[in-house]
Amino acid sequence: MLAIKELRKNFGNLRALDGVSLTVERGLITGLIGPNGSGKTTLFNVVSGFYAKDGGEIRFKGKRIDSLTPDAIARRGLCRTFQIAKAPEKLTILENMLLAANAQRGENPVSALFKRHSVNKLERENLDTAMELLTMLELAHLRNEFAGNLSGGQKKLLSLGRMLMRNPDLILLDEPTAGVNPTLANELLEVIKSLQKELKRTFLIVEHNMKVIANLCEKVFVLNFGKLLAEGTPEEIQQNEQVLKAYLGGT
Amino acid sequence: MTTINFLIYLLTMIGIYGFLSLSLNFQVGFTGLINFGQVAFFAIGAYTSSLLVCKAGAPVILGFLGGMLLSGLFGYLISIPTKSLKSDYWAIATLAGGEVIRLIALNEGWLTEGAFGVMRIPQPFRALFSMDTYPLFYLILVLVCLAIAYIILSLLSNSPFGRDLKAIRDEEELSLSLGKNTRKLKIEAMIVAGMVAGLGGALFAHYITYISPENFRPIETFLMWAMIIVGGRGNHLGAIVGAVTIQLFNVSTRFIGAYLPFTPGFMAALRMVIIGMLIVAFLVFRPDGLVKERKKIYRFKNDDGEVD
Amino acid sequence: MDIAQILANALVRAAELGLLAVGLTMVFDILKFTNFAHADYAILGAFLVYTFNCGAGLNLFLSVFLAAVAAGLIAVAIDKAIFKGFRKKGTKSVTAMITSLGIAIALRNIVRMIWTSESRTYAIPIQRPLRILGARITPVQIGILITSLVAMIGFHLLLQRTKFGKALRAISDNRVLASACAIDSEKMIQWMWFLATAFGVVGGTMIAMEHLLYPRLGFDILIPIFCAAILGGIGNPYGAMLGALVLALAENVILALDFGHILSFGGLFELGSIQIKTGYKPAISFVILVIVLLLRPTGILGRK
Repeated sequence: MLAIKELRKNFGNLRALDGVSLTVERGLITGLIGPNGSGKTTLFNVVSGFYAKDGGEIRFKGKRIDSLTPDAIARRGLCRTFQIAKAPEKLTILENMLLAANAQRGENPVSALFKRHSVNKLERENLDTAMELLTMLELAHLRNEFAGNLSGGQKKLLSLGRMLMRNPDLILLDEPTAGVNPTLANELLEVIKSLQKELKRTFLIVEHNMKVIANLCEKVFVLNFGKLLAEGTPEEIQQNEQVLKAYLGGT
Repeated sequence: MTTINFLIYLLTMIGIYGFLSLSLNFQVGFTGLINFGQVAFFAIGAYTSSLLVCKAGAPVILGFLGGMLLSGLFGYLISIPTKSLKSDYWAIATLAGGEVIRLIALNEGWLTEGAFGVMRIPQPFRALFSMDTYPLFYLILVLVCLAIAYIILSLLSNSPFGRDLKAIRDEEELSLSLGKNTRKLKIEAMIVAGMVAGLGGALFAHYITYISPENFRPIETFLMWAMIIVGGRGNHLGAIVGAVTIQLFNVSTRFIGAYLPFTPGFMAALRMVIIGMLIVAFLVFRPDGLVKERKKIYRFKNDDGEVD
Repeated sequence: MDIAQILANALVRAAELGLLAVGLTMVFDILKFTNFAHADYAILGAFLVYTFNCGAGLNLFLSVFLAAVAAGLIAVAIDKAIFKGFRKKGTKSVTAMITSLGIAIALRNIVRMIWTSESRTYAIPIQRPLRILGARITPVQIGILITSLVAMIGFHLLLQRTKFGKALRAISDNRVLASACAIDSEKMIQWMWFLATAFGVVGGTMIAMEHLLYPRLGFDILIPIFCAAILGGIGNPYGAMLGALVLALAENVILALDFGHILSFGGLFELGSIQIKTGYKPAISFVILVIVLLLRPTGILGRK
């Protein structure tokens, strides 16, 4: 589904990504781990179009996406979350969910004014979906709160909720459990797992925490100093000496 | 001037500035675009309409439409660089852009009559009313137009379009990550805002019947900013409350000034000192303004989430 | 106009704008917001110079020194009253920017209240211009060049050779980290305001000295200052100096090229030849500003 070849990104003299190649298979949860500063988030930013690449290519569903703008990539069905979860502070939780809905009507002034009937009809349908998802994420009781009032963990949940609302082909999650309290984190992982199992969603997850990855992923890529250090199943990775060294050396 | 005439004048001016603050609020309060050259829309609306009517002999209604369209076009033009500019830089560019529009009005005398200004601008339906009743008619005209603008802006801000704009204002990167074409959305917002402010400018020109570049100094932009900061951003009611408050202050101190032992220059300066301090005081002590941004609440028939 | 004259005029203009742009860029570098009141602090100072110089009859240099200190202290006081609270609350930089616009309006009109809107000149005797390499330069302009050069070198030494400069750079890079290294960032910020404003007062006085002093001068020089700071890459003091030079050259070259053409526009020019410059220069710097912003938003010296 996603094929990255020889991807490069430099910041001045720093080679943040130094020829990384990896693939993400449809329907699986793929993990991306590595010590701090190994290039995980940079990879996300390049893949999702927020940074321009310095070399290599990225194919999504067979087509090149490495020169598209972030919004165009998102419209093709590749969506990402952010390490520090973002949520428009003066939109309510429910509005945050509606914001993410796919193929909305009334997103330009003309249709918003002159096609109000069909816009409202679709909004109602989206509202139903949003409420279902919020109930599943146990955020329904907060639906009329401003998103700015949520805790960091709740914002992480909300970002996941928006992803589900948007329903993209590939979801990139950047440290979905960082800053979330352990109970909530476990619930979150369960949600991700069940989404993959029941709804066959594809995920690429950046994590710092090896346990989370082991518990969640079928396939794992390890980055270190902008290079791919290892790939394999979680078990293989956990026994890989190089990986252990990088982690112990890094921390 | 009798009290009633003064009141009608005051309300008309409040109404005209209502367009400008509604428009600025749509840019700043909803879309997060910091426009320090708002006066440019005002000038373009006023000049386009009066020149169309005075020089090309168009009917007033066409003048109004022309003013709106050209002002909207200007909104389109200045919103193009928002794609690549940080908001600080764009704010600086708009400040300068507003001045350039004024310089053009000042220097292109063949078109705009330069510093002399455009005089004897015709008023719509003037022949149907007497001297005493016409101001009242014009007030009603302004208020009806303002109500229409208010309703249209409310519909827009309550629509998915308005939601997208707020999302850009609060978290632009997130909006991009959700597939929003933020560039297009900003352009659309600026066109809408430009048209609203342009109509305000046209109504202004045909009300006072004489405009010159002096009417469109940067200080006008600051007055509009004072309106949305005092009134509150992110909701249309706040913009109107701000226009009422600031215009009430602005016009009434002009009136009171006649009874105080100060020179007009001193009074004008004092007025602007107070407005500058009001901007600062509100941002420090009451950043939300008099009217806070309100939540959009969706109502459900029951708590299971079924939509009403 | 010949090339030597254009160069001379550009150097003088750069000397004036440079001092103002450096101050603006310092505030941005440390506090990460664009201070729209910067030019108005400077003009308030320039009016204080006028009062000390023409009112109290003090020597011009002493007047500038006193006014720079006074305006610097006012800037520090305003920071303590307003921006310090913003820093504590973590208010968005956009809010600080809009607040500075409010301060600018208040300051400009306080100046109008105290000194009226009349144009003024300092007590400098009319001097015969000297001829240097074919360019006509007045002694005042030479004084401007020397003062600005001395101030810039002083600023460079301060930034590079002193503990203060190092601490300032540390705060610019990372305020939280700097405080962790026992740098009293609040105190440093106050010094920064003081210096930026004092520099601005010197620059503002020099501009007023060469042309006229009036309350709206602050607004008239605002766009050129922004332009110089952005040309050089905002936040970069050396870039600001370079930007001022580039802008001044561009302004003078453009004015020299189009001189006859511009005159034919008519309208604005009953006020005498000096007004042509102040009236049209903002438009030139605006056009340059827009071109630079669109082509290279990080400025000539690139990313900071």
